[in-house]
Amino acid sequence: MSRIGSWLILSFRLHRWEVLASAAGVAILAAAMLWFAWQLRTLAATDPSCLDPAGYAPGCTQLGQRFYELSSKAEWLSYLSWLAPFAMGLVLGVPLVSREVEHRTAAIAWTMSRSRTWWLVGRAAFLVVVMVVLLTVVAVVGEALASATMPAQHLDRDFTWYGRRGALIVVRGLASLAIGVLVGAWLGRVLQALLVAVFASVLIFSAISLGMDRWIEGDAVVQKFDADRAGGRQLGERILLPKGELIDYGELQRRGLAYEVIQDDLLWARPEDIGHMDRLIGYDRYLVVPGSRYPQIVLRESAVVGGAGFLLALAAILVVKRRRVG
Amino acid sequence: MSVEQPVLETHDLAKRYGRRTWALTGIDLAIPQGGITALVGPNAAGKSTLIKTWVGFERPTRGSVTVGGIDPWNDRSGVLGLVGYVPQSPSLYDGLSVEDHLDLAVLLRPDFDRAYARQRLDQLGIPANQGAKSLSGGQQAQVALALALGTRARILLLDEPLASLDPLARREFLHVLTDAVRSDGATALLSSHIVTDVEQACDRLVVLGVGRILLHDTVADALASHWMATDGATSAEGTAIGSFGGPSGERLTLVRTESRAAGPALRPATLEEVVLGYLASGRALPGEAAA
Repeated sequence: MSRIGSWLILSFRLHRWEVLASAAGVAILAAAMLWFAWQLRTLAATDPSCLDPAGYAPGCTQLGQRFYELSSKAEWLSYLSWLAPFAMGLVLGVPLVSREVEHRTAAIAWTMSRSRTWWLVGRAAFLVVVMVVLLTVVAVVGEALASATMPAQHLDRDFTWYGRRGALIVVRGLASLAIGVLVGAWLGRVLQALLVAVFASVLIFSAISLGMDRWIEGDAVVQKFDADRAGGRQLGERILLPKGELIDYGELQRRGLAYEVIQDDLLWARPEDIGHMDRLIGYDRYLVVPGSRYPQIVLRESAVVGGAGFLLALAAILVVKRRRVG
Repeated sequence: MSVEQPVLETHDLAKRYGRRTWALTGIDLAIPQGGITALVGPNAAGKSTLIKTWVGFERPTRGSVTVGGIDPWNDRSGVLGLVGYVPQSPSLYDGLSVEDHLDLAVLLRPDFDRAYARQRLDQLGIPANQGAKSLSGGQQAQVALALALGTRARILLLDEPLASLDPLARREFLHVLTDAVRSDGATALLSSHIVTDVEQACDRLVVLGVGRILLHDTVADALASHWMATDGATSAEGTAIGSFGGPSGERLTLVRTESRAAGPALRPATLEEVVLGYLASGRALPGEAAA
């Protein structure tokens, strides 16, 4: 047998339960998503005019109701596709080193292989292949389901279901894998490492998410309260002060500019201030990244998450190189 | 490497775990090339720690360690090219068969001599397609040994591989080891606390007390130069090493003397008594704190 064939078979045998569980989970999720996508497309094909975003045509109530119910359920599934990369990354990544240490097989592996770096790269590469294949399925099926749920929207320029479809799923999975491997190598105990890795993932991805929100503020536009924000990514409400300064509600309170009344998109402190433009606190506005920026933002976040994952993988290599066997 | 040059060396080696626990203190040791050296000592004497520093698994707190002249901590891959290692518990992969372990060894170390390892296992009747989990302890130890031998390493480090084996499995293991070492001209260091087993197989003996070397000699010289005195009888020419209780409750004292005419009060010591005498002497000494 060729070296690659031998590597694939042995790697699978060493991780068979995690790989089989991940593959089964993805198969069930993908099948469910495809079923919903098919149902939604069948409904949409029955009478496309019934799904006009401007409003249901007369006589469409039943079809529209059914479409709405299915879409709601499909959206729940999309949250599973958001969760899948994190769960899979940790389930596959944590045991890679920690189980070797816990079961003391590291003593054999790390003396047989002259380089722990190459040992780790060889083992992790298999899991990377598995994750890329499985998560690509989730990402593609996620796109298909999103497209079936929102047939009228151009999803390649739309932030709806952000992170629940497309390439970001794969990149997040690989970064989670790196977190799992690093924590597993550091702690050397599977269960403890799994718990700590979940906590570490929440912290790391929350930090990335907050950082990204800050970063993409530069891409955002200020929109009026009643403007069409379809497909855009809303970053939150802001107050546009009469002098043109844009601040958030926290800053508004810090400046003692508490408001009580909103009339249309105008903020007044008291009802008696309404109409007195010299007492106007500001204009209620939304900060929105337009849907047209979707490809660039996905690419940018993929680069950030991928870069973080790469650094975490390097950290994992360092830990493994210096780690005691147990 | 010349024959005279030691293949395994330590100079003033000390290893501390945490802030206070010293596993090894001031170890100076030079194991020459060829043959099997037994590293004997009680539990927690530091045998595993010493072997792990040679494999590059542990970093010395003080002093130096070399394998074939290479520092394992600074050039681990260089040392692993010289060393075959059998860990304390065989710890094979539960999900792999014996054959898979050999395939994995080839994958990890392309120069692994699969045919040689397989031949060793075939001679012992260990089925290659059997899962490692279902092997007996003795068979698992044999697979671990075959993996180490398949590296064709010049130096074999065996960390208490006999500890969990029954007497028959221990004998088989030692037979395979001695056969391989003699035929390949390798050097083996075998740690154990079962003296009777290593007596048959080993050429040299290192007795490790708690963190310190108490005796380093060839087995033949150790037996020739040590005698036992019963209930206080000693030889004027000898040096009393240590005393311990005999099987009948009598007090036995190990005496070291080069004189063949040691006198009627002394009888030749067995290797186990030599070890016990030195371990008793190690216990009598006050604990030595490493700087």
